[in-house]
Amino acid sequence: MQQQASTMPDHTADPAGERTAERPRGVTGAATLMRDTTGSVLLHGGATKLDWAGRVDQPDHVVDTTAMAGVLTHNPADMTASVRAGTTLNALQEHLASDGQWLALDPASGGHGATVGGLLAAGDSGPSRLRYGGLRDLVIGVTLVLADGTVARSGSHVIKNVAGYDLAKLVHGSLGSLALVAEVIVRLHPRPPVSTTLRAAADADQATAATLEVMASPLEPAAVEWVSASTGGTGPGELYLRLDGTPAAVQVSAGRLTGLLRGLGIEPEHLDGPSSEQAWADHADAVLGGSDETVVRVAGLPSAMAAQYHRAVETTRATGADITMVSSVALGMHTLRVRADDASDHAAALTSVRQHAEEAGASVLLRQRPAELDDLVDALGTPPSSVQLLRRVKAQLDPDGRLAPGRFRPWY
Amino acid sequence: MTTAAAPADTDTATDTRGVVRQLTEALRPTLGPDQLITDLTRLRTYECDAITGYRVVPALVALPESTEQVAAVVAACAQAKVPYVARGAGTGLSGGALPVADGVVIGLARMRRVLDIDLANQRMTVEPGVTNADISRAVAADDLYFAPDPSSQTVCTIGGNIAENSGGAHCLKYGFTTNHVYAMRLVLPDASVVDVGGAGIEVVGPDLRGTVIGSEGTLAIATAITVRLLRKPEAVRTLVADFPSAEAAGQAVSGIIAAGIIPAAVEMLDALAIEACEAAVHAGYSQDTAAALVVELDGTAAECDEGFAQVEQICSHAGTTHLRFAADAGERMRIWQGRKAAFAAMGRISPDYFVQDGVIPRTRLGEVLSRMQEMADEAGLRVANVFHAGDGNLHPLVLYNAAVQGESERGENLSTAIAELCVEMGGSITGEHGVGTDKACSMPKMFSEVDLAVMQRVRSAFDPDGISNPGKVFPTPRLCGERPGPYRVHPLEAAGLIERV
Repeated sequence: MQQQASTMPDHTADPAGERTAERPRGVTGAATLMRDTTGSVLLHGGATKLDWAGRVDQPDHVVDTTAMAGVLTHNPADMTASVRAGTTLNALQEHLASDGQWLALDPASGGHGATVGGLLAAGDSGPSRLRYGGLRDLVIGVTLVLADGTVARSGSHVIKNVAGYDLAKLVHGSLGSLALVAEVIVRLHPRPPVSTTLRAAADADQATAATLEVMASPLEPAAVEWVSASTGGTGPGELYLRLDGTPAAVQVSAGRLTGLLRGLGIEPEHLDGPSSEQAWADHADAVLGGSDETVVRVAGLPSAMAAQYHRAVETTRATGADITMVSSVALGMHTLRVRADDASDHAAALTSVRQHAEEAGASVLLRQRPAELDDLVDALGTPPSSVQLLRRVKAQLDPDGRLAPGRFRPWY
Repeated sequence: MTTAAAPADTDTATDTRGVVRQLTEALRPTLGPDQLITDLTRLRTYECDAITGYRVVPALVALPESTEQVAAVVAACAQAKVPYVARGAGTGLSGGALPVADGVVIGLARMRRVLDIDLANQRMTVEPGVTNADISRAVAADDLYFAPDPSSQTVCTIGGNIAENSGGAHCLKYGFTTNHVYAMRLVLPDASVVDVGGAGIEVVGPDLRGTVIGSEGTLAIATAITVRLLRKPEAVRTLVADFPSAEAAGQAVSGIIAAGIIPAAVEMLDALAIEACEAAVHAGYSQDTAAALVVELDGTAAECDEGFAQVEQICSHAGTTHLRFAADAGERMRIWQGRKAAFAAMGRISPDYFVQDGVIPRTRLGEVLSRMQEMADEAGLRVANVFHAGDGNLHPLVLYNAAVQGESERGENLSTAIAELCVEMGGSITGEHGVGTDKACSMPKMFSEVDLAVMQRVRSAFDPDGISNPGKVFPTPRLCGERPGPYRVHPLEAAGLIERV
């Protein structure tokens, strides 16, 4: 009786739409649900990224994974944990904090209910990716439920393991189009005793040059970020560098980093404790942007940051649109946000940014756009040379095309 | 026996000749005569990798020098439905590059150009035959390096590292090959050429790059690889701490981890391993200790000094009987030489031995060591232990004498039982050597039939006809009837050119 209750899905109104969402409680429930239904399925966790990439066609079923929640195991001494995939990142971090550990991931959507499984499916990460890697580097095991209800596991509870294919990599960035992520095993890191942030006024060219200098130095910042001023705003923009570690080591590194930046004509101020935390909370808000904006993420070379920014600004200058860039400079990952009155101005900005990025071999993921833009632009951009292979992978794992139809159209 | 085998051999010979003729004709326009090997003597060079107990002579060896030539060889194989096996330096320890009978070996050793170095963005693009160590060497003067450091790094190739997702002694802190590759050009089993990854850290859509890395040559052949380079750490500090028991050494490792220190490396050797290493290398390890830990920290000088003082304290607290600090780079190298000589050194104390590569959650070390001792006693054999203590990757060496009736079989059974004990403890049958031919039959201990079937579905997306390195990773009835051989010292290892961990 108990067991039956736990595998029976709940039905509630879904934030993603009017359709009723199924809320399985665990792997078995999710597998039963997938096996016993037909028709298209939209999978989501915290529903923070439903607008990423192509729009999903009106689905026959919505599966909300947030009832598949809870930390299954946490072994502090091994620095690993396994969780049900619908566990929110915040809930996991809270659980780990009492042992002085964390999943070294700080995506902007973390404060908005993003789940571990959803973050893996989206391939999302934050500034700390520079030091700790993203989820593709931190996930060591995964349990997937395929569209036909098949349950497959890969990896294990150990960090070092080369047995079998790594299915976690395949779902990383798949945006719910290949399988439901049901459980995730992650490696953890010790929470740094202290974090110090250096903040300095810097324009795009200064920020790019300073980042390359810092990365060529033996200093090991945990994050290097640049936030532009908005086009209409004042000031050149701000460079943020975070140092993690013991108080003594961080103090020494902060001093050296300050010296390095001064040598480049950049004068940083030190932010500690609450002021450092506030700066990073503001930074996360800047990554997300407003609901009426077009937001893209570009992943390319660190050295290309300034050029990418100038190109975007140039395009929007003519139209009066406003552009903001938030860049993980050292990672070469830039979030560009466009605000404009006309859909055509959004479209022009997106097209120009994408063209420039693609020419440089960078990738462009459309994260958000006003609905009116759908008829004006292609959501995905130029297909990669691996597009046929992607179609074959999709056909193998989801032969009936049930999961997230439209998400990667026209690629697959 | 001979009469029964004779007709089959003749058939095989005819088939082989047919295959060779068909393929050489197909490849003549693209590959020069010196790029195809067909005579038996030279083919034998390719009959095994570093697991010399498995040997199969291929029908043909092709030595392409460009992506186009690799694609041409694969196209010819696909057309003729002939299996092929990609091969780097042949240093693999799982029979992953074992040829398929009547099949083709695609040797990538001639593709060893560095295609691009981007110092500002800390990236390098190389062909698959470039050795792991040559990547770091090319940028050493610029204070950059390629982090994965398998012990065979002076000879093993980046293409092989891609296939095996190679790690090394420093992977607890720095990760594996998959964490250090931005992009790859791939030749798929249908001979199409695709790029995965890109200029940046990620692409839109599923991570095909990560799927291919570690797939042991069953999904694709990488012909150009863009790797991530890291800035060399400013400071490196190394110590060796002796302990009265492996448990005490294990406590020290737990203490280091609990203190929030992520060491660049932590290695443990037991008394038997130390005895063998000292006999071979004279690296200065104490011969009267039950266990020794090698701990290495790196980072900024301030961070390193602080952490090192803490490590020293933790070791003392755990009951260390002797601490030795590497005074300079030369002494550090000697400590590592001793550690890395472990496998080859076993010949000093035992005529034959099997090398195991299991992984356990580190906290179960004490439990596993006593279970292993019980199992060894039961089998009447000795087991020496060297392992990457930070990440729980064990390399038990099962010592036996093949000349004694029944010992090889007992040794082999013990070795397999140890790998499967690791799975029971929530770990893995292989931490770094790969599944290959050697461990395919243990895969069902770790994965369900359904798990393996789903992995096969992924494989079918890349290789529907199963021509790319068939018989590896996944168990087959034919394979699982065969037996692995003992560990044999690779000629390069004997010559002191490589070490294996």
